[in-house]
Amino acid sequence: MSAKTVLILAPTLVSLFLAQSYFWVPSFSDQVRGDPGRLTRYIESSIGDASILNPTLSADSASSEIAGLVFDGLIDRDMDLSYRGRLAESWRIFEEAYLLVDETQRLPDGGPVTAEALRRRLEAALAAGQPSLAAVERIEVEPGRELSERVEVKPADKGGPAKTVQLALRRPPRLKFTLREVDQDFFAKLDRLLDGYVGRIRPTRWLNPGLEPPLRERALELLAATEHNPVIMFQLRKGVRFHDGQEFDSRDVRFTYETIMDPRNLSPRVPDFEPIKSVETPGRHTVRVTYKRLFQPGFESWGMGMLPEHRLNPEALRAEARALGRDPDRFTARDSNFSRHPIGTGPFRFVEWRTDQYIRLARYDGHWDGPPNFREFLYRIIPDPLTTELTFYAGTTDEYAAQPHQVERLRDDPRFMQFSGLALGYTYIGYNMRRAPFQDERVRTALAMAINTQEIISYVLYGQAEPITGPFPKQTDFYDPTVRPLPHDPAGALRLLEEAGYRKNGEGWLEKDGKPLAFTLITNSGNEIRKAVMAIAQNAWRRLGIKVETLALEWAVFINERVNKADFDALVLGWSMGLDADIYQIFHSSQMGPFQLNFVGYRNPAADDLMVRIRQEYNRERQVAMARELHRLIAKDQPYTFLFVGKWTALYDRKITRQVRAPDGSLRYAAIVPTKLGSPKFHFNQWIKVPQPVGGPVHAAR
Amino acid sequence: MLAFLLRTAWKKLWTLFFVSVISFAVVYLAPGQPSQIDPLNPRFTPQQLERYRKAFGLDQPLPVQYARFYKQLLTGELRSFKDNQPVLGKIVERTLNSLPLFLVGTILVWCYAFPFGIATAVKRNTGFDRCTTVLVFALISIPGFYLAYLTIIFVVDTFQVDVIGLRTFGREDVGWLYGAMDRTWHLVLPSLLGAAAGIAVLSRYVRSQMLEVMSADYVRTARSKGLDENRVLYHHALRNGLLPFVTMLGLLIPGLIGGSVIFETIFAWPGIGRLGYEAILSRDYPVVIALNFVAAVLTLIGTLLSDLLYMLVDPRIRL
Repeated sequence: MSAKTVLILAPTLVSLFLAQSYFWVPSFSDQVRGDPGRLTRYIESSIGDASILNPTLSADSASSEIAGLVFDGLIDRDMDLSYRGRLAESWRIFEEAYLLVDETQRLPDGGPVTAEALRRRLEAALAAGQPSLAAVERIEVEPGRELSERVEVKPADKGGPAKTVQLALRRPPRLKFTLREVDQDFFAKLDRLLDGYVGRIRPTRWLNPGLEPPLRERALELLAATEHNPVIMFQLRKGVRFHDGQEFDSRDVRFTYETIMDPRNLSPRVPDFEPIKSVETPGRHTVRVTYKRLFQPGFESWGMGMLPEHRLNPEALRAEARALGRDPDRFTARDSNFSRHPIGTGPFRFVEWRTDQYIRLARYDGHWDGPPNFREFLYRIIPDPLTTELTFYAGTTDEYAAQPHQVERLRDDPRFMQFSGLALGYTYIGYNMRRAPFQDERVRTALAMAINTQEIISYVLYGQAEPITGPFPKQTDFYDPTVRPLPHDPAGALRLLEEAGYRKNGEGWLEKDGKPLAFTLITNSGNEIRKAVMAIAQNAWRRLGIKVETLALEWAVFINERVNKADFDALVLGWSMGLDADIYQIFHSSQMGPFQLNFVGYRNPAADDLMVRIRQEYNRERQVAMARELHRLIAKDQPYTFLFVGKWTALYDRKITRQVRAPDGSLRYAAIVPTKLGSPKFHFNQWIKVPQPVGGPVHAAR
Repeated sequence: MLAFLLRTAWKKLWTLFFVSVISFAVVYLAPGQPSQIDPLNPRFTPQQLERYRKAFGLDQPLPVQYARFYKQLLTGELRSFKDNQPVLGKIVERTLNSLPLFLVGTILVWCYAFPFGIATAVKRNTGFDRCTTVLVFALISIPGFYLAYLTIIFVVDTFQVDVIGLRTFGREDVGWLYGAMDRTWHLVLPSLLGAAAGIAVLSRYVRSQMLEVMSADYVRTARSKGLDENRVLYHHALRNGLLPFVTMLGLLIPGLIGGSVIFETIFAWPGIGRLGYEAILSRDYPVVIALNFVAAVLTLIGTLLSDLLYMLVDPRIRL
């Protein structure tokens, strides 16, 4: 055989072999016939892989999604976004409040202040039906006591190791109030009742004046005149079992908390749990969580998956370390194999994980809420959005993050059904209010009025977005729907700028005191929507006569060099939000430092006060009222030009439906209904795939 | 010969050292942080970020980090920031995944390019040559990802079959023959697309090389001896035109670990190229630097191999 024949024949044979394989693979229409098991498998595609499947240690959305199926939290949100018990059957929130007894003061009637005298006086008022004490259940005296703890002190020059110092002090007696409900104004009311007694307490009296600053701060915390300790009592569900058969109980809850707070585990969830003072287990199915201070957003964090204590406790970790030949003293939950082979109580149990390929979960038949209909859940990793879409058309993906334009294209396709809702979060233009000309509210308002948000929504987002006027998620009650968006009014904007002292010069540019109105608008590269917004804003402002330069920076440079150091004039950026009303970190004036999130430097004492009160308020109605007030305030101040909130869209094969058991025991199909947020997967456990789509809302299942 | 090998190895070790220093410096001095240290997580405090940096050893001086890093790499203890798995194990696993793509692609490129290039050289300035030139330059200049997308869209739209990944995803309870053919089918597009550009480039080299040697005296002699035209072209002419390809053959070896970032990403192929790409995006320093180092080692081995191959192909070269 000649060289030429070999050179041509060999690759041709290879190509032919490759080509014939086409006849062995399933296509969209007959994939079920070749592999009936496909109907009981649900496949979701994701751009990125999970990183760590321990819910206390993960921070990315892929890991959270898997953990959400493998683990159950104590609570979650139901169809109307109210809280609903999961591993917790019920709960009660009340408060324990402490008041320092300052024996140097006098009572209003001139009598000496003692713990007993104060208590008697307040109990009398309570018995007399004093309205400001309406929530009080019990008043007790906590005797004075010696406190002692070790405090870590860093040397002033930052060099050298930190040392620990013993802090010892005597705390005077305190009154302990048990309140039926949390009341952040309790001490203010008490102060009025006691003629200003609370306000006159000076804890520094009990302090050794020579204390070093870190010790002094800690001592002042221990000697606080008043202390709010909200308490949550959870009643746990009985008979819930982990995937390995062990029963779930209150020890697991406490252990989950301890895992998060163990500094060696480097849990990203520490900030959510840091306000907790103690987690106690008075009974096998009772958990008592006491908070150090008022922190309402902390409740939401009990939706986090609960870990099995028997798998990760120190003995288990040491045994695992020894088996792996690692140092048992340095082996943490983060090193444990558990992070790649999680065990929870959730509807699906973990089977296998092939990095950057897929994660496989299987139905947990012993789930307390009834097992899901799907036998398997596969989480598939495809890094490219277009490719993902094509796998959906080939029938090898059941769910993916469908882009708005893709959904738009398939609106009338009978093969698919679609859902959409508003995202949690928004895109905005932020102004650095430390710099001229952005200190002037009129300038910020004028800049906002110059931009046609509707145009951005129509042409950049294909209509898949809504305008937004303030800092809260639009679908929550915290968002005040009565706030009108600023009108698109370039002429009005120009008038406002003239009011602020800007005049057009000979060349048509606005200037004040000979200085032109000029600044740079930046954003990160790689986000085409933000870049388009940047161009539209630049164009709108230039037409007013403002010299605007734009710059798109690589993400790391953008964040580290510009945002974190507050080195920018104006920027286009977005926030994704939670469902709570806590925006303290984004807008409170204490959060303006480097690496903090109020990088625009927004400062308004009234808003500051509201932000603090909102995160301390446990009464939903009052919290909503304050949030709406804050919304109006921020909308008036315009630290951001609030632009829009995008819509998320979901696309499903019509062959997917809900299979439910009717009261008479027969199986029926039901339509998929979305929650208030628009999420259709609330009833995911009832989902199943059928060979042919079923029409209408309810059908008898075969 | 032995002396040559030792001398070369010594030189290459030095090169390797400099490569290791430079690649370490480039990765560490580039802006950005490992994605685990996300400065934008609103509930991260600076203390926690600091703790993470410490856990990853990022707070130590660069020379210390460098020494620790390569020590761990050479003892196989180096672990990825991202999932805490040993880096070498990851590299081996991903290389095995990339291997079929690499083999099929290489066979297609290195077999087809020669007859194709020779044919265009023989028929130069004919209609055939002009058409193939246009085609070849089109293949070279159309970006790979664009062509890949067009092909995928065409195939999925027309045949409604899966072309992404190692096999049809979620199809599990099937016999081994179906399984094997399924895997073969998934090789088709990425390997053909990768090979198309490769054939285009290589055949141009073959063409110009052949044009040079075809006018040589010994080719005329061979022809005048009455030899078969194919024997003249493939035996006498091609062998003398092979020298530049030996260099390229040596560089194939590092190509294995470089993989094909673009095609592997588009086809969700869990290969080595994608491992590197994703490691760079998430600033997974251990993986990035280890890959860099392994690639450097393979490049040096490749150049050594081509040095040795020169002797084989051209008897005039002596060491």
